[in-house]
Amino acid sequence: MVSPVLLIVIPLGLAFCVPLIGMVSKRFARFVPVVACLFNLVVSVQLLPAVLSKPIVVDLGGFGAPFSINLFVGPVGILFSLLIALAGFVVSLYALAYIDKGPTTRYHTLYLLLLVGATGVVLTGDVFNLFVFFEILCISSYVLVAYRGDKDGVESAVKYLIQGALGSALLLTGIGLLYGLFGTLNMAHIAVQAGSADPIPLFVAMALIVVGLGVEAAIFPLNAWLPDAHSSAPSSISAILSGIAIEVGLYAVVRMVFTVFGASSMLSFLMFLGVLTLLVGELCAFAQSNIKRMLAYSSIGQIGLIIFAIAIATSGSITGGFFQLVSHTLSKALLFLAAGYMIYRSGSMDISSLEGMGKRMPLTAFAFAVGAFSLVGLPPFAGFPSKLLIIRGALADGGALLALLVGLVLLGTVIEGAYFFRVIQTVFFKKGDGETARCEAPAIALVSMFVLVALIIVIGVYPSLIIGVLNSAASELLVRADYIGRVLG
Amino acid sequence: MSLELLMVVALGGSLLTYVLGRVSSRLRNGFAVLVSLALVAMVASLYGKALHVSYYEDFLGMSLVLRVSGLSWLFAMTASTLGCLSVVFSLSYMKGKERTSFYYSMLLLVNAAMLGVVLSGDLLSLFIFWEIMSWSTFLLISYNGGPALAAGMKYFVMSFVGSLAMLAGLLTVYGSFGTLEFGGVAAGMLSASPGYILAIFVLFGVAFGTKNAIWPFHAWLPPAHSEAPSPFSAILSGILIKMGVYGFLLIIFVLVGLRNFMALGADGLPLHTVLSIVGAITILFPTFMAIMQNDAKKLLAWSTVAQAGYIILGISFGTSLSVAGGVFHFVNHAVFKALLFMVVGTVEYRTKGVRDLDSLGGLIKKMPLTFAVALIGVCGLIGVPLTNGFVSKWLIYKTLILERSPFLALVALFGTWGTILYSYKFLHNIFLGQLPEKYKDLERAPMTMRLPMTVLSIVVVLFGVLPGIPLSVINSIDTSFGLKPLNVTLWGLASDTGALNTINILAAVFAGLLIVWLVLKSGGRKVSVDQADNYAAGAAIPKDKYQYSVGFYAPLTRMVAPYLKDFMDSFYMRLAGWVGGLGSGIRRIYTGYVGDYAMYIVLFLAALIFVQLTWSPW
Repeated sequence: MVSPVLLIVIPLGLAFCVPLIGMVSKRFARFVPVVACLFNLVVSVQLLPAVLSKPIVVDLGGFGAPFSINLFVGPVGILFSLLIALAGFVVSLYALAYIDKGPTTRYHTLYLLLLVGATGVVLTGDVFNLFVFFEILCISSYVLVAYRGDKDGVESAVKYLIQGALGSALLLTGIGLLYGLFGTLNMAHIAVQAGSADPIPLFVAMALIVVGLGVEAAIFPLNAWLPDAHSSAPSSISAILSGIAIEVGLYAVVRMVFTVFGASSMLSFLMFLGVLTLLVGELCAFAQSNIKRMLAYSSIGQIGLIIFAIAIATSGSITGGFFQLVSHTLSKALLFLAAGYMIYRSGSMDISSLEGMGKRMPLTAFAFAVGAFSLVGLPPFAGFPSKLLIIRGALADGGALLALLVGLVLLGTVIEGAYFFRVIQTVFFKKGDGETARCEAPAIALVSMFVLVALIIVIGVYPSLIIGVLNSAASELLVRADYIGRVLG
Repeated sequence: MSLELLMVVALGGSLLTYVLGRVSSRLRNGFAVLVSLALVAMVASLYGKALHVSYYEDFLGMSLVLRVSGLSWLFAMTASTLGCLSVVFSLSYMKGKERTSFYYSMLLLVNAAMLGVVLSGDLLSLFIFWEIMSWSTFLLISYNGGPALAAGMKYFVMSFVGSLAMLAGLLTVYGSFGTLEFGGVAAGMLSASPGYILAIFVLFGVAFGTKNAIWPFHAWLPPAHSEAPSPFSAILSGILIKMGVYGFLLIIFVLVGLRNFMALGADGLPLHTVLSIVGAITILFPTFMAIMQNDAKKLLAWSTVAQAGYIILGISFGTSLSVAGGVFHFVNHAVFKALLFMVVGTVEYRTKGVRDLDSLGGLIKKMPLTFAVALIGVCGLIGVPLTNGFVSKWLIYKTLILERSPFLALVALFGTWGTILYSYKFLHNIFLGQLPEKYKDLERAPMTMRLPMTVLSIVVVLFGVLPGIPLSVINSIDTSFGLKPLNVTLWGLASDTGALNTINILAAVFAGLLIVWLVLKSGGRKVSVDQADNYAAGAAIPKDKYQYSVGFYAPLTRMVAPYLKDFMDSFYMRLAGWVGGLGSGIRRIYTGYVGDYAMYIVLFLAALIFVQLTWSPW
């Protein structure tokens, strides 16, 4: 069987080959990310059945846990690595056509590094190793936000860098505290001892780590970097930042709270925070006239929904949260990719400048509509089963408080529907300012978009295709003892 | 005939129509008509059958079921027939417009979704088709652009609030009973507490009431109906909003059960009374709004709201007579309102989009057949004897009298009085009076428009003269609800509390006509005068300077306008503005200064630690 280590090693190696290949031919260099992501996709799919029956633990360097760094490839890890490889693959296809100006080899190198960082974060079983991969992810995304080199991009990247660095500093401090408390950095090993530790230092460590990771996870009020960064990055990078980067941040928060600290008392607080994040995100998105900022705020709203779902912490709601995560990755990536070319053709990010795009680029506009419908949660698209599962999970509890929160979540959904449908009307039903020439996106970009369209519809109609993975992922989070037992033996 | 096949034809037909439209528009048109005809035939063949199939075993652990019952057959039949006629009508109406493939495909998708809604055998299927119906309707309402965009938006937001309430309701039901199939839910409801049933009823009621546009959820309907393409307005008004009626019938009689429903609510104010009062308000206020409209489609749209009030009023009493009245009125309204929207569509088509009642007139000379069907439709709407509207309104009045509700009866009668006023305004301002010069070369309506209108007007008269045909179907629905069956005859009703026999009416009408004819025959010589002389008493007037239909009912309008404010609508608009303002306000949190942002992070961390150290809640 293939080793999960390859999921990190091969793309990492290829990332550094990109500049070398680029010296020979820039045209070849752009295919490297496609190949790397395809490789990861294939390996992840191959690992899937084995992982579902039993999580794979890889001890690096030959020492057993807790003495070595180990990878933990459980259902959650494989779910995320699949998602990263899939989104990475689709977006790298899109970038073949979309990234045609500027230092393209550097783009592809950093892009791959970003994905390596993301994959590393979700697979590692060691806190410090997580920090390292997290930094790889963040630093490459800082640079990629500024890829265009225009004033907006650089400004947003610097803002992102300052906040991200602050978050990383807090995270590192927290990890340091943990090491001081337990003398180990292995997640499972910390998890075993967390119950018997002095509660105050433990809480401070957890607060530092959660807040540090929360910056990347876009939890309110730590998410101020996001609208700037997501809107000024190139659209392919916005797709990855919204579809992958913040989800990975969210994964790290959830892994820490659920598995490492087992802090079930924090969950109701996280639930409120999720709903607050959702409402703030949706309300801000509603007030936007810039399409990419609107999508960025909508990502904040979606992350809030996922946090809410996972923090309810029943197996139904966590499954729903993960489902929402999958559908958000697919839909939001699709939305950014489609919006990318519409913006490119119209020359402005103003929603009003997209008038008449439904006629000028019908396929791209159609893809955008599918993404929007799915995100709003309309059948028969992928967002529908996920919203159904979340609401079902939340209402199954039967408490009045949860029912109230569900009401707020649904209110957020209405606002979301309103601003997305406003864009749909603008794109399809407003007459543009005379320009009617067809200007469809290039074929390769359309292929990448329609891969996502197909996935969104197939998952929306047959949710049972992925529900198995999601269920096991939910139980991995809920049953902490299994995780510990699997690593420490 | 299997139900799955029916749905596959309906949904697949919609998709294929779009694909064929890429090839050839003639092929697409033919195919669209064929699909809609096939659906009518397939639904018709389901008559009297009781089928139940599970077509999707495991959607997230829930099984999806299609079924047909008497109730769903009647709705499916109405939906598919209107869908077919509307497709035929569109053939000329949509000629030369842009994006017609999209239009036809969406029209058939709405049709398919409506069939799905009424043929669903579980709440989740119902919800899924309901949502597909909602978004495809949104796309069709927005189709015209311009003011239609705001109309579409209002429709979508209100309908989405409703459907999310339904989602919350159905998932609560799933949480308590573990099933969403109608039978299982009904069994569970038998032992549920009244408070629980009331909560479920309210959640579903918001969804159904919004779709049915009963007050106070009516605000979306007038703009949506008037801005949509006319053949779709016919569907919208005729059958789509009646999905709300279907929903109410379903929840009251199938899921909750009549006995449970009648027991709901506070002691002095039971829920069914609340529902009848809501129905009465829905009759009264929109009727006056309709009188004051100068846009033909807006007038019909407000009239639709008012007629929906009659249906709700009928259903809310829950007796066999009242339910028959409500359901029959739904069928009748579907027929004559679709007919009237098509009439406006025809006029719009010939006058290049004019539907302003102040600038039309005299079209009777140019479009005699359209006038004739409009007259029949208007008679049905008013409830003139020997048209279908008479019978259903008779049933509703009869109920109100039998149930001793004089005030509600007064409201219903008052509503009919208003209906006469606005119906006459509609008929007069379009077809009677003087013909503006610019319309003197108008052609009569094309064949594909005359055909569906003629069919509908025949139905109006047929159901008015022989009400026994639809009433026997409705009677079987009554029986399936567990109500006492009515004594239906071909000519009406035989009952101990007062019979209805259209033969007598027919005889009386013919006798009356005969007398009038004889009087006219025996009268003196006919004199033809110029039409303007009727108005100006022979004085010379510049003919095209005056439009006699402008300011119709001006005194009445002056009198009631100050009291008629659609305050629910302004409330919704203010709410929407307020949400926008809130968004802009909250956006200020993101000041743009990175120093503030860094401070948020540090402060949040500090707050977390402070709270834990002080109160240690975690």
